[in-house]
Amino acid sequence: MDPSSAKPRCSVPKPCNHLADYKLKYGLAGYDSLQDNFVTGSNGKTIVCTPDRKIPRCFFCDGYRERLYLCLVCSSVSCLDHTLLHSRSDCGNDIAVDVKRSELYCGKCHDQVYDADFDTAVVSKYKKDLIVCRNAFESIGERSSKRRRLSSAIDLDLKKWKELPCIRDQRAKSCYPIGLRGLNNLGNTCFMNSVLQALLHAPPLRNYFLSGRHNRETCPRRSLDGFCLLCDIDIIFSAMFSGDRSPYSPAQFLYSWWQHSANLASYTQQDAHEFFISLLDGIHEKENKLRDTNKDAGDCPCIAHRVFSGLLRSDVTCLTCGFTSTTYDPFMDISLHLDSSHCLSTETTNKGSKLNGSTSISTSTLIGCLDLFTKPEKLGSDQKLHCQNCQEKQDSSKQLSIGRLPLALCLQVKRFEHSFIRKTSRKIDWHLQFPFSLDMSPYLSSSIIRKRLGNRMISFDGDESDVSAEYEIFAVVTHSGMLESGHYVTYLRLRNQWYKCDDAWITEVDEATVRASQCYMTFYVQKMLYHKANEEIGCAPTSSRRDSLMSVVGYC
Amino acid sequence: MRHSVNRPPTPDAAEDEEKEPTLQEIINIKLIESGEKERLMELLRERLTECGWKDEMKALCRAFIKKKGRNNVTVDDLVHVITPKGRASVPDPVKADLLQRIRTFLNSVI
Repeated sequence: MDPSSAKPRCSVPKPCNHLADYKLKYGLAGYDSLQDNFVTGSNGKTIVCTPDRKIPRCFFCDGYRERLYLCLVCSSVSCLDHTLLHSRSDCGNDIAVDVKRSELYCGKCHDQVYDADFDTAVVSKYKKDLIVCRNAFESIGERSSKRRRLSSAIDLDLKKWKELPCIRDQRAKSCYPIGLRGLNNLGNTCFMNSVLQALLHAPPLRNYFLSGRHNRETCPRRSLDGFCLLCDIDIIFSAMFSGDRSPYSPAQFLYSWWQHSANLASYTQQDAHEFFISLLDGIHEKENKLRDTNKDAGDCPCIAHRVFSGLLRSDVTCLTCGFTSTTYDPFMDISLHLDSSHCLSTETTNKGSKLNGSTSISTSTLIGCLDLFTKPEKLGSDQKLHCQNCQEKQDSSKQLSIGRLPLALCLQVKRFEHSFIRKTSRKIDWHLQFPFSLDMSPYLSSSIIRKRLGNRMISFDGDESDVSAEYEIFAVVTHSGMLESGHYVTYLRLRNQWYKCDDAWITEVDEATVRASQCYMTFYVQKMLYHKANEEIGCAPTSSRRDSLMSVVGYC
Repeated sequence: MRHSVNRPPTPDAAEDEEKEPTLQEIINIKLIESGEKERLMELLRERLTECGWKDEMKALCRAFIKKKGRNNVTVDDLVHVITPKGRASVPDPVKADLLQRIRTFLNSVI
């Protein structure tokens, strides 16, 4: 062919001799009779079905996995090898159709061939199916321009019609990372939905359940009490990561949780943090009951503790003699008081009064709250503690620090203030600035103690150094509205993109929206786990793939 | 009239015996019948496009055609050459994702 000839790029190539011969002999008869066998699937692709609608298999070798071709002359289905054989042995049986792609193939040329008449036959059937499908949509009563753009035609099979809405949802949001799915509100259950969304995307928890570590088949708890919170959570994980994007109703889980927390079983609004704690408690309790042990949080192998449990160190110092007694307590989350000193009214600043040389900030920060949490606090004179050294009750100061960091850290902001004096409760609405990357090392016991005592050679238990102190945020549970009537919404960070999970509605949002939200519970996970999880839920572009065997934690 | 219940099948009957479907075949049938295979194929297409695999394959095809000459290449040649490379370069997360879904699906039908 002359490369310089001004032929249009996409012209239909000349038919090979074999195709030309076929056309001469049979004309369009073969294409027309094929029309009945063309079937357009919900994905918009037209395939060739066998008359009996069975799964196509090679007539000669029964193979079903490779490409299969339907001979236009004798209608036998064969795999590639047998198609070539067929064309050699049975003269004239050269032209066949690739059943999965509805494309012509010539057995003598070993190549794909093109015929405008054939394509017309395929397209006309496709259009017919499209019309039927549109009528079907209208009869269901839905209107969506987006769907028309997708132009998904359907099989005439009635069964598929019912599946339509969820197929549409899939197509619209299938670019979202896996596991992202709305949760239906079952009656003021946004407190539950919001926490569930956060937990579903906590990398260590997600890996645990998705890798099938809790086997529902062999779960012994079921036989004990008839229900198992872990089994129900496992069911939720399977459903949420199934690929189905239609909103899910965690009804069975709700019922299970009510069994466990009978006092909270109602349809009234509840506190998300309370739910979170009761859920972790439920998981832990079952574990202990089963193993008939009463393990400390430090050794407890239950998944709740393995993921969220850390160690809090409390140092109480006698202000008279300086003797310090240290105690360790496990924690599942850290509740932070909002730093009220920061939220002075702007009048003070306007008057120009200086506070310790620093300008007052009108918004609090999470870091500020953590600073407050680990600040030495002088206990009031009514809280004198017994000093072992002085052998009497003395004024003391107490300081908290982190003895051991958990894999996933939940920081709760105490926004609900209960005043015993006024016998009222109110919600603190201040905006709290929170970081996406959090370094917890200044709050570790080693840092806190060193700060207090100066740079001394103090040895600490090896626990601290094992665990990294750098965290990345992966979920924020926010609250809007008033104490009695409000709404919880969770923002999830997957692959560095933020998603808003508002019960059944999932939408992409930008960072600014998240930063401006009123955080109630912030969930952080160790940086390494966060980045590993990101690799798992999406593909890195092939060019930047480092090692071929990325450890896919928790999948296979 | 009682027949012996332990009577072995007659030799003639044994001839017509069909091969038992293999586990793979059963899984394949179940996947297709439920429509899951189609969904999974769509998902796979999307994921492979997302991560650039499709573009990579396209580039490989172009390179091959350029080398061989446009008129000397058949679809069969391309399929033959590209298939092993394609299979080898599917990213692990994609494999894992699909495997997980198949597993979930199987759990739901068993």
